[in-house]
Amino acid sequence: MTSLALVEIVFGLAWSRRGLQLLCSSRLWALILAVVMLGSLLIGEPSVTLGPLGLSREGFGAGLEMAGRALALTLAFSLGIGSLTLSDFVAVFDRMGLRGLGFATALALNLLGTLREMVTVTMQTIYLRGGMRRPWTALRLFLITTVANTLRYRDEIVNTATVRAFDPNDGRSPPLPLRRADLWLLAVLTGCTAVLLSLGMQ
Amino acid sequence: MMSSYTLRGWVTIGLFGALWGAVELTLGSVLHTVYPPLASTPLTGLVLSGIGVAIALTGRHFVPKRGSILLIGTVTALLKLLSVSGVKIGPVVAILVESLLMEAILWIAQTPRPWAFIVGGALAMGWNLPHMFIMPQLLLGKNATEAFGKIVQQGDQLLRLLGLNLSAASLVLIALLLAYLLAGAISGWGAWQLGDAVVRRLGTRGSTTNGGEH
Repeated sequence: MTSLALVEIVFGLAWSRRGLQLLCSSRLWALILAVVMLGSLLIGEPSVTLGPLGLSREGFGAGLEMAGRALALTLAFSLGIGSLTLSDFVAVFDRMGLRGLGFATALALNLLGTLREMVTVTMQTIYLRGGMRRPWTALRLFLITTVANTLRYRDEIVNTATVRAFDPNDGRSPPLPLRRADLWLLAVLTGCTAVLLSLGMQ
Repeated sequence: MMSSYTLRGWVTIGLFGALWGAVELTLGSVLHTVYPPLASTPLTGLVLSGIGVAIALTGRHFVPKRGSILLIGTVTALLKLLSVSGVKIGPVVAILVESLLMEAILWIAQTPRPWAFIVGGALAMGWNLPHMFIMPQLLLGKNATEAFGKIVQQGDQLLRLLGLNLSAASLVLIALLLAYLLAGAISGWGAWQLGDAVVRRLGTRGSTTNGGEH
């Protein structure tokens, strides 16, 4: 696990610094510390006494193993996602023939702020019109208005996309050229996988 | 399957995914700050899943095609991954599994029906309980089983001191599961009612010009 985490950190330093931001998170380290502590307290027979707490060496090792596994998995996930942008996601979906899903994701990300604002305005309007005196009616009105407004946005977007002749089911991506650098990368990744697998077997 | 979706369908999927994503990113951040993840309180999951399930099922009302809930869930999961708050595996897995469960029930029901929304919502929210045990197992490995076993043993000893036994803990878990199922059923029923109310108000029921989409 240590070697895997080290490989990931090297990868992150070289290609995806954004993915390494996870290591600055105090929550992650609190979780790691909690796992190590839990392992020391709960697994194995106590070998060291620290005040009222009995800590075990075996448990400490198991705690470190659990924390290492959690760190390696979370870091791998963070690096993988951190090295991709929205455009990369859309391009990947395009290549997989899921142009519509890429379009829907990009649309969702770009409209996140607008929808958030729409929800806030709806809530404030209901509040200013004394909706809080009848909370259930206010909730019902809020939900209906939010969904109706979302559908209104949908119609606007559909109209805009239609006049530009956009069709999410149309358009084929050009074939992906496989270059020499891709083959080198493939070879390196295969080598890394083999090394990690052999380390895991030991 | 994907090519059967119209432009209108994809836009609806994107917008409902964005709505669920907005709830996860705003309300989720607030709730995770109030109730830190280490405390693992079921309330955060209950509130976020309840709203998310209702949004996804309402979205299905407007894109009545197979796979639409799964696609709404996928868009939400991608938004969660791309958010600036950092990558969290747990919520992403939960969103995907919940949408998969809802989709499975609606697939069995063939056409959208109130019972399918209720059962789908209940099952999706019911996932929250196994999620609390499965995710640590995946993240921490086999040692976690031993640690959790010890916690249960110590909890049992504590309960015995209070004059209770392990069945009290089982009752707590069953009560929690029932609370999740009930909340999910209410979310599903609410989504059906909400979708119906919006369709009635907008007067678009029976529209056949867009492949059954309202």
